[in-house]
Amino acid sequence: MSAYQDLSLQERMLLKFEAEEFLYYEGGLLDSRRFDEWLNLLADDIHYWMPLRRTTQAKEVEKEFTVPGGMALFDDDKTILTMRIQRLAIGRAWAEDPPSRTRRLISNVRIDSIDEDELTVHSNFKLYRTRLNSEEDSWIGRREDTLRRSEGGFLLCRRHLFLEQTVIMSQNLSSLF
Amino acid sequence: MSEALITTDKAGVDVSGCFDMATGILDRRIFTDEEIYQEELKKIFGRAWNFVCHESQIPNPGDFMMNYIGEDEVIVVRDRQQSINVLLNSCPHRGNTVCRAELGNTRSFFCSYHGWNYDLDGRLIGMPGEDDFYRNNIDKKDWGLTPAAKVENYRGFCFATLDPEAPPLEEYLGWVGKVGIDFLLAEGDIEFLDGIHKNRLQCNWKLAVDNLYDWYHVKVSHGSAIKIGILDGALAAPDNQMVILGEYGHGIGGPGISEEEQARYDARMASGEGEPQWYDRYAEKRTSPETREMLGPVGRRSFGHPNIFPNLWVAQTNQVCLRIPRGPYETELWWFNFRRKGMSEDEQKFSAFMQNHMFGPAGVLEQDDGENWSHSTRGAKGTFSKTLPLNFSMGNKADQVSQDPSGQSCIETVINEHAQRWTYQSWQDWMAAENWPELIANHSQPPTGEV
Ligand code: FES
Ligand SMILES: [Fe+2]
Repeated sequence: MSAYQDLSLQERMLLKFEAEEFLYYEGGLLDSRRFDEWLNLLADDIHYWMPLRRTTQAKEVEKEFTVPGGMALFDDDKTILTMRIQRLAIGRAWAEDPPSRTRRLISNVRIDSIDEDELTVHSNFKLYRTRLNSEEDSWIGRREDTLRRSEGGFLLCRRHLFLEQTVIMSQNLSSLF
Repeated sequence: MSEALITTDKAGVDVSGCFDMATGILDRRIFTDEEIYQEELKKIFGRAWNFVCHESQIPNPGDFMMNYIGEDEVIVVRDRQQSINVLLNSCPHRGNTVCRAELGNTRSFFCSYHGWNYDLDGRLIGMPGEDDFYRNNIDKKDWGLTPAAKVENYRGFCFATLDPEAPPLEEYLGWVGKVGIDFLLAEGDIEFLDGIHKNRLQCNWKLAVDNLYDWYHVKVSHGSAIKIGILDGALAAPDNQMVILGEYGHGIGGPGISEEEQARYDARMASGEGEPQWYDRYAEKRTSPETREMLGPVGRRSFGHPNIFPNLWVAQTNQVCLRIPRGPYETELWWFNFRRKGMSEDEQKFSAFMQNHMFGPAGVLEQDDGENWSHSTRGAKGTFSKTLPLNFSMGNKADQVSQDPSGQSCIETVINEHAQRWTYQSWQDWMAAENWPELIANHSQPPTGEV
C-alpha cells in the first residue's frame, strides 16, 4: 500500500509540500476563527477522534489509550463538528465568549503512506491558548491525518489526535485541534 | 488495623454560622478559605463513605485502579480471594507511593525506593535485607500499607471510609442514596466502559456539587447547546420538578412526574388511546414491575440527579461523576461510564455518544459549566466580594414535603433550590460534628411539612 517509499525524491518533496501547505492553511483558518471555511475542508465522512490516555506501568503501556469506538475526548463526525462550530456563532457558548485566542505550531510533518487518492500525514502540534486576561493553556500532541484529493484540493477525512496529557489540565477543550 | 486513621483537632474552624437554612444565605468564604478546606478533608472526606470504583472495573485478581479519598491517593485492588481492598498509596518506610499507574494489573506493589513489597491486600511480604540489615528486628505484620477502615459494596458500587466509626454503607446511603444508585440499575445490570474522562477545573468542589441540582442554569448556561438542538430545552429542564432529601446530605433533584401523570401514562399504555405527553420520554424508562418495585412509588417518578454525599453525582446518562477536591480552588471531575448489559448496538452507540459529547472537558454541555463554576469561585476570592452573602433562597418556605405511606417522601414543585440548601445545611452538620457518634446524634433530619 505504501508506495510512498518508491517515489523519487522530487516526487516526495512535492507531496510533502502539498500536505504542509494544506495543514498550515487549515490550521490558520482555526486560529483566525474562520470556522465555516474550515468546515468546508472536511470530507463528509470525517472521523475526528481523540482517545483518553492513562498513566500505565511500563509493562502495560498498550493500555495507555482507549480504543476506537470506546470512550474518548472527541469522537466526532461532521455533524458534531458542525454543531460545535454553530454553537460558537449563536451565543451563550460561554467557554468561548469572550473567544479564546489560539495559535498553533504544526511541525515534524511526515507522510506515512499514500493510497490511491488518499495521503496519510503525521505531524506534531502545539496549540497555545489564552483566555480573558490571565488564563493560559497549552496542549502538545501528535496527529495522524488522512487527506483526500478532491476537485477543489485536499479534504480532511480523518484526524486522530494523541495528546500528551492524561488528566486534562485545562478547564475545557473548547478549541479545535 | 482497626485504629482510627484520622485525628480531628478539637479546635477546628467554626463554620456554624456559614449557612442559614431559614433564609438560604450562604457565606461564600466556604469556597475559598484554606482552613475550612483542610477541615473538610478531615471531617467530610476522612469520614464519609467515598465511592472508589464499580466492581466491574477490576474484574480479575491483581486488577487495580487509582483513586482519591479527599486528597489522599488510594489504590483500589482486587486480591486473590476476590475481595476489593482500598489501600493508602504510601509506603510506611519513607512515605513513597508504591503505585504510580492509574490502572493496570500487578502481582504485588513493589516500592521503587528500597524495595519493600506488598501483597494485594496490603500486607508487607518482603523487604531487602530483612535479616542482614534489619537483623530480623522488624515485624512485617505491623508495616503493611494502611487499608481503609471499611470497604463495602452496594449493588456493584464500592465505597470506602477511613473512619472505623462510620455506620454500615447501606445505613449511610439510606433510601435516598440507594434509590440514587438504583437509577443506574433500573433497566438492568451494568458494566464499566474502559476510560474515565478526567479534567481539572479552577473551582471549589462544592460549587460543582451544588450545580448538579441546579435546573435553573440549564437554559442560560447551556443556551448554545439548546439552540443547536443537541439538548431539548423543554425536556432537559422542565418546570415539573421533584426534590428528594436524604439523611447525611444525600439528595435527588430534577425532573419528576406526578402520580396523576404516571397514572395517565399507564392507562394510555394499557388502552392504546390518548395523546402523547411531554413526560412520556421519562415515563417510558420505568415500565417494568421490577424497576418500579426497586425504586419505590416516589423514586420511580423521579428523573433528577442524585448526589451521594459528599461528591458522587449519578447522572442520567449511564455515568457517575466524582468531584475530587484538589485544593480550595481546584477540582477534578472524573466521569465513570457504564453500559447496560444487554443493550442493543444502537442503544449502546447512543449511550456512548451522549457520554462522549455531553460531559467531560470537550462535552458541549460541560465546557460552559466549568467556566461558570470557576468564575463563581473567583467571586469568593476578592477581599471585599468574599464578605458578601450568596443567595440560595429560591422556593424557600414555598413548598410542602409529601410523605408516601411507603416511607418515601418528596417535594413536588417548580424549579427551586431546596436540594442546594439541604447540601449546605448537611455540610454544616458534618463540619460541626467531632466524630461519627456526634454526627449520628446531631445531623439534620430531612425536613417534613413546609420547606
Ligand atoms: S520508601 Fe518504600 S521501601 Fe523505602
Ligand atoms: Fe450544567
